[in-house]
Amino acid sequence: MLTCKEQVARSSDYLDGQLSFREKLMVRHHLLFCPNCRRFIRQMRLMQATLKAMPEQPQEGIDALAERLATQRRDDSP
Amino acid sequence: MAADDTLLLTRLLAGEQQAFKELVTTYQSAMRAVAYAIVGQRHVEEVVQDAWLSVVRHLGSFEGRSSLKTWLLTITANSAKSRYKLNRREVLMDDLPSPHGSIDDDRFSSADGHWLVAPFAWHQDTPEALLTQDELRDCLEHTLLSLSELQSSVLLLRERQGLELEDICNLLEISLSNVRVLLHRARLKVFATVEHFEETGEC
Repeated sequence: MLTCKEQVARSSDYLDGQLSFREKLMVRHHLLFCPNCRRFIRQMRLMQATLKAMPEQPQEGIDALAERLATQRRDDSP
Repeated sequence: MAADDTLLLTRLLAGEQQAFKELVTTYQSAMRAVAYAIVGQRHVEEVVQDAWLSVVRHLGSFEGRSSLKTWLLTITANSAKSRYKLNRREVLMDDLPSPHGSIDDDRFSSADGHWLVAPFAWHQDTPEALLTQDELRDCLEHTLLSLSELQSSVLLLRERQGLELEDICNLLEISLSNVRVLLHRARLKVFATVEHFEETGEC
């Protein structure tokens, strides 16, 4: 059986689907019996979702850039 | 080609300004992350500008063999590589200290590998609830800035832009095992930051 430390070391690969079938089963087996590691994985997923939900930095100059690119495109095309 | 891409492409080819605005709004963050990974903060702007010009120039020859996003990011990576390249051997595995550390070995018993200090139970259980706390948002930004340029780009490309690990490898020309290590280290640092904030209420 994996230790908690080994489970944490495999956690990103587990979340990204990078583990072999056998290793995935070992992680699942550990999680089944370990509430601390279940919490860890749950909170890792929450952290991932939080990064995704963070507001974008406001981008500046989009209109000017779009105008420049559109003009360039029209000039390029015959 | 995806239906969305086809429609947008038609409008882009016609030189429609609104279409270019949509393109820039949707993809520029991802392009910046790719440029950041390859050339570092200092040259991001010029690389992204180069990439946009190249995109416009080659728009007519985009054949839809990849998604529009992958095509744009490949052009960005190429622009970055043709101008500058950081010395990869030095920076690849740089692991800089993070404001709230990581989940490292001293969290576990050296005897049996169990948690010595179990993960603290966070008070919030949705991203929205976590992000309503302005201080945590600042705290996360701070941690992201503390990561090496490559670590933070890999994290952003994966978590925010939803790229597959293989796409990240191809764009940044690093091995899958390196991408996995970079991603894992970055995640543990961000995890430690959220945990610290949830536990102490401070950044």
